[in-house]
Amino acid sequence: MTILTVALKYLQGRLVASTLTAVSIALGVSLVVASVLLAGGIKAGFIAGATDYNLVVGAKGSPTQLVLSVVFRMDLATPNIEYTAYRDLQQDPRVETAVPIAVGDAYRGFRYVATNNAYFAAFPWRRKTFALAAGKFFADDPPSDPTYEALLGAEAARSTGLQIGDRFYEGEEMAEYPLTVVGILRPTHSADDRAIFFSLPSYWGMNEVARGMAVKPLTAVLIRPKRMSDLPSLHRALNVAPETQAVLPSGVLLTIFNMMAVAEDVLKMILATVGAIVLLYVFVSMYSATMERRREIATMRALGARRATVLGIVLAESAALATVGGLGGMVGGHAVAYLAGSLLGPSGLVTNPFLFDVFEPAVLASVIFLGTLAGLLPAVLAYRTEVAENLAPLS
Amino acid sequence: MIREFRTWLAAGFLVTVVIVPVAGSEEIPRLTFAQLVDSIRADSGVTEKIKSYSGKEVAIQGFIVPAGPPDLSFFLLSRVSALGNYCCEAPVGQDETVYVFTAKEVSITYDPLRIFKIVGVFEAGMRADAIYGPSLFRVRNARVEEALGAKMFTTGELPAPGSKP
Repeated sequence: MTILTVALKYLQGRLVASTLTAVSIALGVSLVVASVLLAGGIKAGFIAGATDYNLVVGAKGSPTQLVLSVVFRMDLATPNIEYTAYRDLQQDPRVETAVPIAVGDAYRGFRYVATNNAYFAAFPWRRKTFALAAGKFFADDPPSDPTYEALLGAEAARSTGLQIGDRFYEGEEMAEYPLTVVGILRPTHSADDRAIFFSLPSYWGMNEVARGMAVKPLTAVLIRPKRMSDLPSLHRALNVAPETQAVLPSGVLLTIFNMMAVAEDVLKMILATVGAIVLLYVFVSMYSATMERRREIATMRALGARRATVLGIVLAESAALATVGGLGGMVGGHAVAYLAGSLLGPSGLVTNPFLFDVFEPAVLASVIFLGTLAGLLPAVLAYRTEVAENLAPLS
Repeated sequence: MIREFRTWLAAGFLVTVVIVPVAGSEEIPRLTFAQLVDSIRADSGVTEKIKSYSGKEVAIQGFIVPAGPPDLSFFLLSRVSALGNYCCEAPVGQDETVYVFTAKEVSITYDPLRIFKIVGVFEAGMRADAIYGPSLFRVRNARVEEALGAKMFTTGELPAPGSKP
């Protein structure tokens, strides 16, 4: 019999205690894996969903609210700016592309986004591409003749079940202005998958207040400068203007990441505490197991087993528990991350918890090492077991 | 045998005392925005002196303007903060901006009001990038560090109004 076989037989002998120890290790590891995967997934989701435009111009207020509502559709829309702001930016010699955006109500939770076809245009500098899964893009209609044509993001179409030609509206006041589905987009793996797009004239036509306004409202304008070096001056000029603010979307995301880093630090401390508790549990489990079978160990020693063999058996037991618990924790961590990712999906966060992270082999190796280490003191106790003392008659 | 050992010992001593400090004393030249501005000539030309830094590793200090993706694989380094909307001088453009392409993931804590030190391979002269457009000054394979020791004014030692720091 090898040391490992004996160790496994010992673990089998106290199956309930061994299983509970492995499960506690698995729970601790899955907590670490799930937390790291989710934190990374949320960050990756923000980066993947970031706009290719370099500046977002909107009404004065919170830069975070402006970016979250316009780019990620995760917050309330900021107050309106005037359509003339877009016209002025279009004519600014420093601006290559300006795209107007109006964020409005929603249909079954999928936000209405009014814009023009420039929003979907391909440029050499754009990472994101828009392609049709069915139908066509909505028409860039004149303000006097809105078409009320809607283009659905992939997730919006899938969840609502709307098909090409379907007419829909939400709320009594919208019954007179139903939208007609004319196209469905392929997935872009961004917030655009959860949006319902239509033209600005349709947006203004649907809104009672906007219908009566001489200068139409907008939520924001997305800007791409001709030269990146013009960005600081554009940013400054639009910020010192009394009605607008200009926001660098990446700057806002980096600020969010900074806040997330504080939360991650707190989480790391909690995870370290959980890890310590799990290790302590392994130690207590192995210690009591060793104390319970001092007599068996003494018998083994009397039958010729060397001290090193006894030490090896106890270490192999803790290593086996740590390996099973560690592997179980990896699987469990991915399962928890997947479930949490599914729950967070509709809120606008894109996560990919199935991604294998490079840290995982290191976590598994650490778990096995530390788990084995937790069994070291009980192993030393077993090593030092005196045959004569422990083989004495019980009564 | 002993003589040979002594020779090796002397050689080792020489390497330690003479060559190592010489290698360590190779300081990375620092460029300032004032130098960059002074180097600009007509038709987006630059002086030979500033061109002589091209292909060499230089250090430049400035504010980060996150003009590219949020992973900071590309950003602008500017003399003026992107958030200093109501103070300081207005940024004027090409000569106030260095295009920075980072070598690997940037792990700094972004702060728009903090001065950062960029160390990387310098390029001078007008060149157009497919994604980020034309630029006059670039730093590639850059690493980003906090600019420790950058001049920070505290109350009581503010410069006189109108004077340049």
